[in-house]
Amino acid sequence: MQAHKLVTRNPRAELYYDLVELLTGVMLVGFLWTHMIFVATILLGIDVFDALSRALDDYYLSYTGIPIIILVFIMHVLTAGRRIPTRYQEQKVIWRHAKMLGGTDTWIWVFQVITGAAIFALASIHMWTVITGWPIRAVTSADRMHAFWWFYLVLLLLGEYHAGFGIYRQFVKWGWFPRKPLGYVTKMITAIILTLGLAALWVMYKLGGAV
Amino acid sequence: MNKQRKFSIFRYNPNTPEIKPFMQEYVLEEVPGMTIFVALNKIREDLDPSLMFDFVCRAAICGSCAMVINGKPRLACKTLTSDLKGTITLMPLPVFRLIGDLSVDTGTWFRQLSLKTEAWIHSEKKFDPEAVEDRMDNRIALEIYEAERCIECGCCIAGCVTANIREDFLGAAGINRVARFMVDPRDERTPKQYFDVIGSDEGAFGCMGLMACDDNCPMQLPLQSQLAFVRRKMLAYGLWGK
Repeated sequence: MQAHKLVTRNPRAELYYDLVELLTGVMLVGFLWTHMIFVATILLGIDVFDALSRALDDYYLSYTGIPIIILVFIMHVLTAGRRIPTRYQEQKVIWRHAKMLGGTDTWIWVFQVITGAAIFALASIHMWTVITGWPIRAVTSADRMHAFWWFYLVLLLLGEYHAGFGIYRQFVKWGWFPRKPLGYVTKMITAIILTLGLAALWVMYKLGGAV
Repeated sequence: MNKQRKFSIFRYNPNTPEIKPFMQEYVLEEVPGMTIFVALNKIREDLDPSLMFDFVCRAAICGSCAMVINGKPRLACKTLTSDLKGTITLMPLPVFRLIGDLSVDTGTWFRQLSLKTEAWIHSEKKFDPEAVEDRMDNRIALEIYEAERCIECGCCIAGCVTANIREDFLGAAGINRVARFMVDPRDERTPKQYFDVIGSDEGAFGCMGLMACDDNCPMQLPLQSQLAFVRRKMLAYGLWGK
């Protein structure tokens, strides 16, 4: 072994990478699902939505939560992203292999990588616009979603896909539950959250653009 | 009159690299109970003596005849032509060194695996040929036997995305092998010794959980639970030292 590698070697490094990928992933899924439920309070009315937003501000949850989530987001990109094959031949092998095998889980992973990369870009834009337009109020959010509904529709679909299958994959890897019922449960939760998200998006779209 | 079946078979001989890999078609009469193994022998006898493929036992024991059949890693001797629709496409297993046509060298790969995982019982006990064998709990014996049913055909390795892009990845066959020694009370290796072998991206943490191994194992080994078992063991040692 060469000197640099010998001195810097940490036998647990790859375990830690894997754990950080797991924990940040679970946190992001938890955050996403909570986030969508919070957004869906618009279904109960503008007042409820604004009251929740104010409460989160009053208890400093937004100010502590958002920086933490950004940090977790970046760590997830780095740890999960390490598995992305970047070389030309690796890319060719993966696509050829996925087509040949026709395995559902293999294709899901290919899309997991694609949706992950897309979320990295779109969620960054989303966070930027929300933070620069602080505070969060139903009126401003509705205007945003009225103008850019297609952006939010894409981000919602990608996010839910990535989160649903991501959590499924972690459970499969750690083997806490059998695969088939697990897939069923994660799909059910994803369907519920997606319905909430779409309903909220529709209400927001209707509310916005009044001026 | 039996049905005519069309085969599309990968052809390449590393000794004649000027002839690029290509797919060659053969048409054969399907007979009752015909396996891919039977069909390949028929093709070699009647149509093309130059076709290369491996087989030994014809009974899903030796693992030699694994190949990619209509996109899936399968044993040729265990796959009936009547279960497949349309043209039957045969490719060699990926990952392993290609000897020619459908023949690959899984032996070298699996020998490396055995050496790397030190796939033998590590014991300081002196062997006494006169003594009565130590008794083993039946539950443990069955667990070991379950893992030992692996015939090293290489289907799990060929189906694995990670094994296809990472040469040093041990794959489900390797991790299953280690799991077998982990439950064996005769093996005196410490958790640290196991961790040194598979507590990395070469072993447990290289797995991305796509489960092509589990989906394609011709012996229906419980590979998902074996991989998860080893992953949890590695976590237990890595974090709590046990």
